[in-house]
Amino acid sequence: MENNRKAEAEKIVKEMNEDKDLLFAENLIRDNKIEFEYEDKKYRIRLLTIAEKNELERLRTKKFGQLIQDKDILFEKDLIKVLKERGIDVDAINDEIKKLDAEEISLQVKLGESISKNEGEIILKSYKEQIEELRKRKAMLNTQKTLLLRFSFENQLLNYVSMVITYLSLDELKDGTWQRMFSTLEDFENYDNGNLINKAAIYSMTLQYI
Amino acid sequence: MNIYQSIANLAKSTKYQNLFLAAKEINGVNLFNNNLDFSKIQELFLCYLYNFDIINKDIITDKISKHVLDDEIYWESYMLWRKDFKYKKGKQQDSKSNLHLVTSKKINFPKKV
Repeated sequence: MENNRKAEAEKIVKEMNEDKDLLFAENLIRDNKIEFEYEDKKYRIRLLTIAEKNELERLRTKKFGQLIQDKDILFEKDLIKVLKERGIDVDAINDEIKKLDAEEISLQVKLGESISKNEGEIILKSYKEQIEELRKRKAMLNTQKTLLLRFSFENQLLNYVSMVITYLSLDELKDGTWQRMFSTLEDFENYDNGNLINKAAIYSMTLQYI
Repeated sequence: MNIYQSIANLAKSTKYQNLFLAAKEINGVNLFNNNLDFSKIQELFLCYLYNFDIINKDIITDKISKHVLDDEIYWESYMLWRKDFKYKKGKQQDSKSNLHLVTSKKINFPKKV
């Protein structure tokens, strides 16, 4: 009796979580804006206007000019060479990722064929487990690669661009109207609430880059 | 929370699959509040809707079991195989239908009578 009640309660919690998940997803796709709350205030992320896209391009070009003059910042290919001299082979990591990718696709096609032939659950599960294992290995290698190359010229420019997109696309609700939260990039860079900016950054990438 | 997974779950929900079908058939039924300037996540959602529509049709026609929808790896793999299979099938048909274009070096023209 007690076990039944527990199972029933778990089922209800699971269903509630699923509903919450669907509601969250619906909020992301309803239109080309994402509204969210943070510390009882309302914010939204929206697509950039043409003027803002031009502003983004201007800031990107300016940053490119700054980064290219800094001799301490290496291009990805040069950073890979330096790392190789120190015994870290990024090319080998890349090759391994490509190999795992090919293996995964081949297994997926086999699994797909098994599904089309309605083969038994044991066969399907075996393929699924092999794919999961490959994905885990690939995720580890990708993380390793990202950490090694995070200071490259290309990554620094990319991070800067995503920061500027967040700065340009974040609005707050003030007196019933939506207004740009930051009027200058300097204000944005000096803003001290990192959690709000991180949340906004995730949503701005979801809208424009995913 | 995994955004991709949430969007996929929403796309395969009965509500959105019905809405997708209705939007294709009935003028004025819209999936989103905006009809232009789709965000990347909306584009991805449309792609998922389309894929689940295909999978649902294959389930209804008993080509596959409905359990394919239970796991992301299953439905992803099935769609990948389906595309690969159709591509190979299309290539085979192309090569068969192009047979009449294959020329031989020796052409036997009919003799003049």
